[in-house]
Amino acid sequence: MHIGDGYLSPTTVAVSYAIAIPLWIYGFKKLKEKLNEETLPVIGALSALSFIIMMFNVPVPGGTSGHAVGAVLISILFGPWIGFISVSLVLLLQALIFGDGGISAWAVNSLSMGFVGSFVGYYVFKALKKFKFAPFISGWSGIVASSFLVALVLGIQPIFWSHNGHPLYFPFDLKITIPALVGEHMMFFGIVEGIFTQVVYSFLTKKEGVLV
Amino acid sequence: MKKRALIILLFFLALVPLGLLTDAPAWGEWDNEYYEKVLGFLPEGFKNASGLNPILPDYSLPHTSPVIGYYVSAIVGVVLVFAIYFILAKIIKGKN
Repeated sequence: MHIGDGYLSPTTVAVSYAIAIPLWIYGFKKLKEKLNEETLPVIGALSALSFIIMMFNVPVPGGTSGHAVGAVLISILFGPWIGFISVSLVLLLQALIFGDGGISAWAVNSLSMGFVGSFVGYYVFKALKKFKFAPFISGWSGIVASSFLVALVLGIQPIFWSHNGHPLYFPFDLKITIPALVGEHMMFFGIVEGIFTQVVYSFLTKKEGVLV
Repeated sequence: MKKRALIILLFFLALVPLGLLTDAPAWGEWDNEYYEKVLGFLPEGFKNASGLNPILPDYSLPHTSPVIGYYVSAIVGVVLVFAIYFILAKIIKGKN
């Protein structure tokens, strides 16, 4: 889901930054309220875990691969704004140091994998809190919602920005991006994100244990 | 929770080379040759995408084995994430 440089029209880039910047500012304020000596190492470790889990590429039929994001885990433990800001920071590092995802696409990537994933996951979790598998379902829902925004942003590129029938940026439209991206996240990566969220959440919140 | 979060992090960090088991790209994250082959041309945006030269491109260290490059990338990433949070915490504390 990491959109690269050159995939998006300048208008898309401008609009996405115009939306993301105020959200980053507000989210940063929320993070400031939450960070203290107790939470700092945990939020740091879970953000680092988001970075690491995105390195676990899982192959799927069709010759592509994908991975979990880890946004929902942070979001259900510390709130959606913290999930959003943490994943945004991870995405910035990935773009700058590892060439994974573009600088111009940082805002779109943060809005999809960070914002939408965190908020959808958080509210699904809140609604299902009593159920044992709430973390799984919220992890699944969060990443599927993220993939929908990615599919939408990529899929409108050839519709709005083509020249003589040649797309100028990402070339495949919604009819292709929605089934491909949302489909593979519903069937595969959503399950991976769900299991990851469920297992790590249970491990972190378990009351008694030998490891405490 | 602090201790457990670190245990989980180290657990996945140790296993990170498993991510190398596939070299299939993510959907939509193909290289330029793929687009040229499928479309018969390369969209303008892809041609003009400058991008920076990343230090560890695709989580690899040039001239070393992929596993070592992947481990180094994972460790660099983890250290940088923690560094960012500690700097943020310092700034916040300084302001109060």
